[in-house]
Amino acid sequence: MTRTNIGEFEEVVLLIVAILHENAYGVSVMEEIENQTGRKINISAVHSALDRLESKGFLKSEVGGATAERGGRRKRFFRITVAGQRTLDAIREQRNRLHDQIPNLGLKYVGI
Amino acid sequence: MSVFKQEPPQWALRLLRFYCKPRALEIIEGDAYELFYKRAATEGLKAARRKFSWDVFRFFRFRYIKGLEDFNSLNNIAMFKNYLKISIRSLLKQKFYSFINISGLALGLAACLLIVLYISHELSYDKYHKDIDRVYRVANGQSGNWTPARLGAQMKADFPEVEEVARINGPFSQTFKVGDKIFKEERGFSADSTFHKIFTMEFVEGRAEGALNKPNTIVLTQSLANKFFDYGQALGQIIYIDGEATMVTGVVADPPKNTHFYYNYVLSYPHDFWVTVGNWTGNAFFTYAKLTEQATPEQVHAKIPDFVREHVGPALIKYSGHATYDDFLAAGGKKSFTFIPMKDLHLHYPHLALGSSGSIDNVYIFSAVALFILLIACINFMNLSTARSAMRSKEVGMRKVLGSLRGQLVGQFMTESVLVCLLSSVLALLIASLGLDGFNQLANRDFEHAQLFEVATLAKLFALMIVVGLMAGSYPALVLSSFQPIKALKGEAQARGKGGVLLRKGLVAFQFAISIFLMVSTVVVFSQLQFLKKQDLGFDAEQVLVVKNVSRLGEKAQVMTQRLEQVPTVQSVSLSSQYPSEWISDWGYQTLEDNPRSYSFINMFATAGFLETMNIELLKGRNFNRQLVSDTSNILINEAAARWLGWEDPIGKKLSRGNGEDYTIIGVMKDFNFNSLKRGISPFVLRLMTDDGHAEGGWYAGNYLALKVSGNFQETVSSVEDIWKETIADEPFEYVFLDDSFNALYEEEERFGQLFTASSGLAIAIACLGLFALAAFTLQRRFKEIAVRKVLGASVKSLTLMVIRNFTFLVFIGAVIAIPTAYLVMKGWLADFAYQMNLNNPLIWLLPALFVAVIAWLTVGFQSVKTAMSNPVKALRSE
Repeated sequence: MTRTNIGEFEEVVLLIVAILHENAYGVSVMEEIENQTGRKINISAVHSALDRLESKGFLKSEVGGATAERGGRRKRFFRITVAGQRTLDAIREQRNRLHDQIPNLGLKYVGI
Repeated sequence: MSVFKQEPPQWALRLLRFYCKPRALEIIEGDAYELFYKRAATEGLKAARRKFSWDVFRFFRFRYIKGLEDFNSLNNIAMFKNYLKISIRSLLKQKFYSFINISGLALGLAACLLIVLYISHELSYDKYHKDIDRVYRVANGQSGNWTPARLGAQMKADFPEVEEVARINGPFSQTFKVGDKIFKEERGFSADSTFHKIFTMEFVEGRAEGALNKPNTIVLTQSLANKFFDYGQALGQIIYIDGEATMVTGVVADPPKNTHFYYNYVLSYPHDFWVTVGNWTGNAFFTYAKLTEQATPEQVHAKIPDFVREHVGPALIKYSGHATYDDFLAAGGKKSFTFIPMKDLHLHYPHLALGSSGSIDNVYIFSAVALFILLIACINFMNLSTARSAMRSKEVGMRKVLGSLRGQLVGQFMTESVLVCLLSSVLALLIASLGLDGFNQLANRDFEHAQLFEVATLAKLFALMIVVGLMAGSYPALVLSSFQPIKALKGEAQARGKGGVLLRKGLVAFQFAISIFLMVSTVVVFSQLQFLKKQDLGFDAEQVLVVKNVSRLGEKAQVMTQRLEQVPTVQSVSLSSQYPSEWISDWGYQTLEDNPRSYSFINMFATAGFLETMNIELLKGRNFNRQLVSDTSNILINEAAARWLGWEDPIGKKLSRGNGEDYTIIGVMKDFNFNSLKRGISPFVLRLMTDDGHAEGGWYAGNYLALKVSGNFQETVSSVEDIWKETIADEPFEYVFLDDSFNALYEEEERFGQLFTASSGLAIAIACLGLFALAAFTLQRRFKEIAVRKVLGASVKSLTLMVIRNFTFLVFIGAVIAIPTAYLVMKGWLADFAYQMNLNNPLIWLLPALFVAVIAWLTVGFQSVKTAMSNPVKALRSE
């Protein structure tokens, strides 16, 4: 079984970046996570995760234009790389495979 | 108002900008701002500001904190890293020299570190007292210890400048009975109830106020209380001190060790006449005074003459026999009191300090020794660095060609020397902690290992390291960096090395000078000690056993004496008020002439057997007769007293204590040393004590029993102890042999000698390390020259001698500098002694120089023989 070098929170962040497509930067990612999952997280945690993912090669970033909403400071937009995409796929595939193998008996037993 | 006009907390923003990596700052700041504006619009400004600060705190992560590479001086850091790398490489390349450099410096630094520890300890004395700057010791006259009973109280009443006074007495050693346990405790003092207002005390049990108000109360230190009551409550307990019931009214934390009088317990004074009133001519108290904040001691000193005239004058003239106080002054009489700052007591007035044995001279001597040793180690460092310069000249030339500035080269060599210092400091800490016990003995202090690793000590070591690194490193750095690149690359850099060689030789000679100086001092100190111990004391101190605490026996003393006389190994017994080698008080006597002269004679009471016990020779007249009661008004004097009196035949003449109290001289004793031989023999008066220990006027003075013993000491001591135990059960038996007691007087000198031994040993060791490396280096450079000489027919002997001759010359120069200096310094040291050894013995001077020379020969000779014996082909075949 291959191991993907990625943590649970990182996976969420990576997914959100993929969802936001062209508009993924610190604040938007944080808000999207809040909206989608209801998790309250600090902006610094998001930054840290984004940086980690970038250094692992799953994300790449570029600096955008200045906007008034942040006092003239520029945004750093993130986009998912091919490697990131593949990792997400691999994770999903692995999960699905595992899910599929759960015998019905077991499911009944735990009451599902 | 638009949300964009609102601002987050500025301090948080500043903090963020301070710590955050510039690379990440804009993005982080942008996101934080965006969130701030959004929250300000929805949650209100206050919450937004609070959350902004919180975000800033949360961004404080390793990932976002500035690193070294984020500072502007990026280049310098890189260069610095390179310096460090090159330094380490060059140290590793020449392991032998590096080892000698580092270990020599480490030895020097370790010695320095210990001495710095000592000096800062000495300077810290009494600093823990609050208001130390306002507390003074009142000295009788210029620096007399004891002052009258009423002095303090009267000063407080008369002088508005004096805020508080306290008197103390001590130190005592007394016997404590707690329950049925018996303890003998030392360092006790009695004190006024104002004690705590002058000296800072921290009460653990009881209250400072009123703790010493009533007679028979005592304040214990924590450790003593724990010992007595086994960690139970001490307050309110009754204990028996020398048989007297005393109540514990307080327990204080142990005073720090660095105080000029360390107390284990403080007793209150009895409400007796001698304490509450006393008289102005009797001096029995140490007086301390605290001045108000505005007052200076000068203001008080100005008022003292009138104070003395008013209060002391009347009592004084009654005693001195003058009509008025003015007559007393006109006759040359002096009476005054001096305020001496308490912070100076430990170092500057050790005789006033109550047993802390400090000495400013010691501080100076230790500092000088530290400086010497450090200097020798630094010289090693400089010599080896410059000597190796030839090897590094190509490196320097290359660097210069590639554009290195001189400042950068200096920086590189400095880095190297600081690195060496850093390594030696670590080693120094190790050496210092190994040598701590020995050092404690030398300095008579008890430093603990933990003190070496305190932050304050480490900071001092660090400062020392930087200073040494820069000091020792600056010369090589300047020399090496001054090479001209072309010459350096061609290998001609040593062309200007002539001055360098001379300097190197000068420094080595200086090292020898210091070593020889220390050696000579060691020899002189020890010879003087030997000289003192061999001196004829004028009496027989050997085989005299002195039993202490005899005053506790009281009336039983006589019985004990009689029983002791029955012991076969005890030849004679005598009871005395004091004993030789101990401090003996002086009493004033006047002659009964037309122009009476008065003098303070050393005065001692003893029973008739004293002369026999001590084996003191009687020159004229007769000894006391124990059968004659009238002999208590007769006295024996020594030769010095006879000389002072100047009479042709003193026998039968009289000396007076005033008020018709006259004593007839019945004999003259041969001079004997009753004190340290540092002092000469002063005029001495011996008075008779009756066999039951009472002196003239019924006053009990039998404090000591002196026993002349023979045969086996151990057996005699134990039989004496048995008799003591049978006579008085609950008093510990204490004794001393008189010759040991005399030798103990030279403890300070003994330590002084040890200090010189240790430091001269260290100095020679470090100097030899340096010499060894230097010789190895020189021989390596002259390898070819020696080979050529050998090929041309020089013998091993002549080659070895050639090398040794160079170094011998340096030792000679060193001796020429060291011996006259040592002569002057040691003459100054000897000036303190009444009995001085003969300094004109050439052996004292030549032996140390010869010793150092021999060590130098051994150091150099071994290597030169090895070089001279080696096969010349090896040196010559290359090129």
